Amino acid sequence: MLLSYRWLERHIDLTGTDAEEVARLLTLHTAEVEGVERVLPHLDDVVVGFVVERQKHPDADKLSLCRVDVGTGENLSIVCGAPNVDAGQKVAVARVGTVLPGDFKIKKSKIRGQESHGMICSVRELELGDEHDGIWVLAEDAEVGTPVSGAVGLLDWALEIDNKAITHRPDLWGHRGMARELAAILDRELHPLDLTLPETGGAAGAPVRIETEGCTRYVALEVGNVRTGGSPPWLRHLLLSVGQRPIELTVDVSNFVMLDLGQPNHLFDRARVGGEGIVVRDARAGESLTTLDGMERKLETADMLICSGDEPVALAGVMGGEASMVADETTALLLEVASFHAATVRRTSARLGLRTDASARFEKSLDPNLPIQAAAHLVRTLAAIQPDIELPSPPTDAGPWTDPSVELELRPERLRKLLGAPIEDTEIARMLGKLDFVVVPGDPLRVRVPSFRATKDVSIEEDLIEEVGRLYGLTRIAEAELTAAVRPVPRDARRDAVRAIQDRLAGGARFHEVLTYSFLPEELCTEVGAESETCVEVVNPVSEGWQRVRRSVVPSLLGLLQRNLRNTDDVRLFEVGKGYLPEHTDERGQPREVHEVGMVWAAPAPGKRARFDADRLSELKGVVEELLAEFTATFTWSAASDERPRWSHPGRRLVASSPGRDGTQQELAFLSGLDPRIARSLGVAADVAVARLSIDALLALPDRGSRYTSLPKFPGVKIDVALAVPEERRAAELVHAIERAGKGLVADVELFDLYRGEQVGEGRKSLAYHVLLQSETKTLSDKDGQKFLARIEQEAEKLGGELRKE
Amino acid sequence: MASFDDLERLREEGLTRVREAAGGEALRALEREYLEKGGVVTSLLAEIPKLEPTARRDAGIGANRLKGEIEGALAARREELLEAELAREAGGAFDATLPAAPSQRGSLHPITQVTREVEEIFTAMGYRVLDGPEVELDFYNFQALNIPADHPAREHQDTFWCDEEQNLVLRTQTSPVQIRAMETLEPPFRVIAPGRVFRNEACDATHEHTFHQVEGLVVGEDVNVGHLIGTLKGFLGEIFRRETDVRLRPGFFPFVEPGFEVDVRCPFCESGCRVCSDTTWIEYCGCGMVHPHVLRAGGIDPERWSGFAFGMGLDRLVMMRHRIDDIRHFMGGDLRFLTQF
Ligand SMILES: [Zn+2]
Repeated sequence: MLLSYRWLERHIDLTGTDAEEVARLLTLHTAEVEGVERVLPHLDDVVVGFVVERQKHPDADKLSLCRVDVGTGENLSIVCGAPNVDAGQKVAVARVGTVLPGDFKIKKSKIRGQESHGMICSVRELELGDEHDGIWVLAEDAEVGTPVSGAVGLLDWALEIDNKAITHRPDLWGHRGMARELAAILDRELHPLDLTLPETGGAAGAPVRIETEGCTRYVALEVGNVRTGGSPPWLRHLLLSVGQRPIELTVDVSNFVMLDLGQPNHLFDRARVGGEGIVVRDARAGESLTTLDGMERKLETADMLICSGDEPVALAGVMGGEASMVADETTALLLEVASFHAATVRRTSARLGLRTDASARFEKSLDPNLPIQAAAHLVRTLAAIQPDIELPSPPTDAGPWTDPSVELELRPERLRKLLGAPIEDTEIARMLGKLDFVVVPGDPLRVRVPSFRATKDVSIEEDLIEEVGRLYGLTRIAEAELTAAVRPVPRDARRDAVRAIQDRLAGGARFHEVLTYSFLPEELCTEVGAESETCVEVVNPVSEGWQRVRRSVVPSLLGLLQRNLRNTDDVRLFEVGKGYLPEHTDERGQPREVHEVGMVWAAPAPGKRARFDADRLSELKGVVEELLAEFTATFTWSAASDERPRWSHPGRRLVASSPGRDGTQQELAFLSGLDPRIARSLGVAADVAVARLSIDALLALPDRGSRYTSLPKFPGVKIDVALAVPEERRAAELVHAIERAGKGLVADVELFDLYRGEQVGEGRKSLAYHVLLQSETKTLSDKDGQKFLARIEQEAEKLGGELRKE
Repeated sequence: MASFDDLERLREEGLTRVREAAGGEALRALEREYLEKGGVVTSLLAEIPKLEPTARRDAGIGANRLKGEIEGALAARREELLEAELAREAGGAFDATLPAAPSQRGSLHPITQVTREVEEIFTAMGYRVLDGPEVELDFYNFQALNIPADHPAREHQDTFWCDEEQNLVLRTQTSPVQIRAMETLEPPFRVIAPGRVFRNEACDATHEHTFHQVEGLVVGEDVNVGHLIGTLKGFLGEIFRRETDVRLRPGFFPFVEPGFEVDVRCPFCESGCRVCSDTTWIEYCGCGMVHPHVLRAGGIDPERWSGFAFGMGLDRLVMMRHRIDDIRHFMGGDLRFLTQF
């Protein structure tokens, strides 16, 4: 919302301030002012000129050749095309070099052979109105050579208020309310404003019938003997300064009253409404109305209408109808000033996408005392311009409204305690008084909240404390240090777990953390084959196809591969995030939240001569084991079941699990290659492994504990064994065989080679291990090693294999 | 086959070859040729027991002297070569501009980094860190925060709804954790809750539909506005790593009363710049004293306890710190961006 500095000056003496200072004061005490701008700044460059002489242009019938005094001592020659220009006039002159609105720069020119050193401006060229049938003739007392802005009293500033900062303040949607704030801040008095209705005639007024709960008050007043036409300069200037286009006197006065008091109102042409009386009712299904802007609006039963008899003439609180608007020939008005329910107006305006100055104000719950005051203000403003208007009948004032003002108790001690500021009782009373609260001294103070603050803004003691705090000045409140018993902050297992995982991944594992959207876009969902998974869905997605809320972070990570592989061939990403499972929704309607770490690793496939464990899946398995070891020493890997995400490789997927505190088996991690078909649809050619760690499962594990292992007292024997076995033997079986052969002496087994090929024959493979034998009671000898080898030979045979000799 | 007869010739030849050796490889070869198993000197020494007893002593002395001299010459020549190499490198042969071996670490997201920093500052001040659901009930996100169904404040929040009945939302703020904290903790307490929040708006350089906030809530006896100012000032001083002036002004948030907007003194300028729109102040966070309705919704008696709450954007903080000009980088997952932090 825009405020005019000059307009505020109609309500309060602002001597000693300027627009910037007013903006600062309002920002610190009332509501944020987002900016201050000079109104129509180009008028500073346009000067008052005096037309000394006017001749007809020698070569053009419709042009005049003028000599204009602009106060420089030398008259300018200016060619002018306006029919009304004449010697002796004071005019607005844009000299060579001046820039007019629309980036129109005035240059020296030659028009039909005659030099022109400037331009005599019309009202429209200066953006002061629509008139363009001639130049703008200024008042005779305008001082030659001075800027037009000052000469016509258009030196003003517009303050832009942040609308969000006043959603709770219906009283601040007009200049009077803001001036009241300034009066309290500056400790000055508001200028009096007569808001009583002048005497009226005794004829019967327009009957009003309210048939809806959405309207609590409706004031109708007839105004006769009105002449439509242009508004006086002061009114036009005020409207221009807050960005409103002056239109026509009665419309301008109506707008003026809204912007002055914050109360929207509407003028009907008396001749076109109210013959059978005004009816306020809900719209009927299928009804429609053409509004002032010429648009036909389809209505619903939740909308509220103003009707002449049964004929809709306005969309209540939002916009008037086209058919009943004031026209040139209008001589009598029917003024409507009403109180409408905020929610009803808001819903209609939101549904139709029709936000107007009126609806913005009604939405804020306006003071029901205002309509009759606004009616008086409008009539008095109009009468000051057209003194012979007539009020043939008293206003019709209908509706079940009640005065919302309330009395609250305010404990001064509580105020001081909550603000942390030593504000005296008398000071509290004085400040509240400046805002029109009536304070009865005592403890507690008894505070009557004025009706314009009581519609929803001020209803409890804390609201009053806020009023006092902001007027006192928040910047005057001294900072203080919180004190409390010193106690350790309880550790949070979840946070500790997440931190440990992040640090390990971003550290030694060289993964990069990403954050991705919680949405799983349609396209990605299809690419990773997750279409059939049920998701929590947003009913109003940010864009089409973005309704799914993800179940897991993994698909989002897969979606990042292709893009990053363009820049680097080793991409390791992880994300700690949440997924949502709608099939597990609790009784309050909240879906289960799962907390997980997703990891993807993409890199070129290992070459033929690479080590057996150089592929992504083996390497990521190592990373995952490292992470799991942080939480448990007892997890086991096993092949994953078939009910797994489509993106996982059907032949290369496994899970790590371990018993939880409650004894149930917890699936800690899922590890998989990427299904080559999914890789293709993602446009990824690299070797990719994917893992998912469940933080929830990790937290369900029993405390890991940790116990030191004593260092060996006797040297051990290191023996390398290579076992050739049938392909279907699992590595774990071989390790078991080695352990059996060691008879309790095996301290460490490490696979260092996996070979398939000619030397072992078709359908077989060779696994080579470093084995460390160690005893707690003696130094082992070569003989112990020989015995071990003999036993392992037998064990290998049991597995259908053999011990390979060098 | 070497013999004791040519001892002198062997000596001359050996020492010359060592002195003229061109590098470490050659020296190593000579060492093998003369001194190791099967080498010249070793063979000589092995011959000694086969000699006449009278000749053994001299032969032994001669062979051992030869061994000692060759060893000495090898060591001397090694030293010479090392000196020469060092002189060559010191003389500019070393290229300091050659690239380093690739980095051996990954990275944490800048939002994670700043979140951790925020958590550390507040835990040091006795705050617990809480987590809350991102798919949240309307009750926690709005109703319990004093934002009933028809409240106009809902309009400014551009909510993502997860069902037609508007029972479930993607949380628009971290504030619902306030209520969850009140439900589970006994006052007095201090908590913060960092996390992801959602607003349904189109993305551009300064707007994201998914961003990050941290909520703070303190409930205690006699907690007042001065404490709030002191806390924010202390925190901001730490996070900006310099004394930071803050300014409270009226602000409207339905869940606090009184409510404030907090401006911080622009960290980039003395007298106005583009970042602060020439005001020297940057609007930074919303805060206030917890509204009695909210305390009651959380089961806390507002007559006995008071509290303050604040909420601030973490993305903004990171952007200010690193002068990042496009908020979309945060959720973009581009390694070229992420590896910079
Ligand atoms: Zn600045």
